[in-house]
Amino acid sequence: MIWIIREILALIAFSSAVVFGLGGLAGLFRFPDPYSRLQAGSLCGTTAVFSIFIGALLLASDTAVAARIVIIAIFFLMSAPTGSHIVARFTWNAGVYPWKPPKVRTGSARRRKKSRDSSEKRGGAE
Amino acid sequence: MLDVMQWFTLFCAVVCIVRLVLGPTTADRLVALNILSGVVLAFLVLRGVRQGRSLYLDVALVYDIFGFLGFLAIARILKDKMTDDG
Amino acid sequence: MRARREWSIIRFLLTALALFAVWLLFTASFELFSVAFGIVGSLLIAALTYDVFLAQHEANLRFFVPRPLYLIKFLLLLMFFLYQSSIVMLGSVITGNASPRIVHFRTRLRSDLARMVLANSITFTPGTITLDLNDDHLTVHWFFCNTSHAKAAGEAVKGRMETHIKRVWL
Repeated sequence: MIWIIREILALIAFSSAVVFGLGGLAGLFRFPDPYSRLQAGSLCGTTAVFSIFIGALLLASDTAVAARIVIIAIFFLMSAPTGSHIVARFTWNAGVYPWKPPKVRTGSARRRKKSRDSSEKRGGAE
Repeated sequence: MLDVMQWFTLFCAVVCIVRLVLGPTTADRLVALNILSGVVLAFLVLRGVRQGRSLYLDVALVYDIFGFLGFLAIARILKDKMTDDG
Repeated sequence: MRARREWSIIRFLLTALALFAVWLLFTASFELFSVAFGIVGSLLIAALTYDVFLAQHEANLRFFVPRPLYLIKFLLLLMFFLYQSSIVMLGSVITGNASPRIVHFRTRLRSDLARMVLANSITFTPGTITLDLNDDHLTVHWFFCNTSHAKAAGEAVKGRMETHIKRVWL
């Protein structure tokens, strides 16, 4: 009975890992500059990996394996941000300027269009 | 379930390697390498739990702690090279 | 002078204790030879490096000894923040809505360890990455920037993490 509950919880953790991992991989190809890729990739590199740790902890068969997974997760809390910080700092020192998203441009274009529409309307009203 | 997740981490690793090969700048390649190290760590943990042996988990622990030293060295070397060029 | 000597003895003992804890964690055996070797090794290394490990200007025990209950609470909250910001980030990947910008702000934390933990937790949650930490001045790449005011950006990025870290380490 307990084993079934553990399997169901592990299934939830693993499926969230799959969702976050696929999202992170999509973000890795979607955004154009290193900072944004790092931000989106940390979905795959941090959240998915952490979910996999939780799922593996639920499925662990004996105490020695479970204790090691807990220690690995605690060290992962320290090592994962250190790694992405090193990469981000390298990018920052290399003089890469953060990317301005095209979405903002389309958003402002839409706003401009809307303001043009409203000005036309206003013009029409006048 | 564990077998499926192992195949999934392998798929993630392959996609990261594609980014690693494609990446136009050095920073992109380092980003891909960073994510690849996390994915390999997850693969080692899954493998250890599947086989029920703690040997893989010891390897994963050491890889976890000293993993970032690798691209610390790479970033340092590339930075020195860049300042030499510039 | 006497206070300084007492302080360096305390720092030395704390360093040796931390090193010995790590030794026990990695060897995971309580045989006599292993434990004795660990004690001798950690005392030797602590004698050589305690001045680097705990700098002299960290003049308060609460600067680096955490309060355990609040530490556990903070770790659980950190996991909650991780999933919360991951879901926001996932929505951003799907819709393509983003406004990345680099913001600067200051922190109120006083000890080096607490500042390091704050920078690490900011990087750990997807959506914010610490680029630089200089004394109390943080440079952060923020993916969902909606303000250019330094103080407002700081409050939005640090969120509740700073108050929780302040309870753990001062």
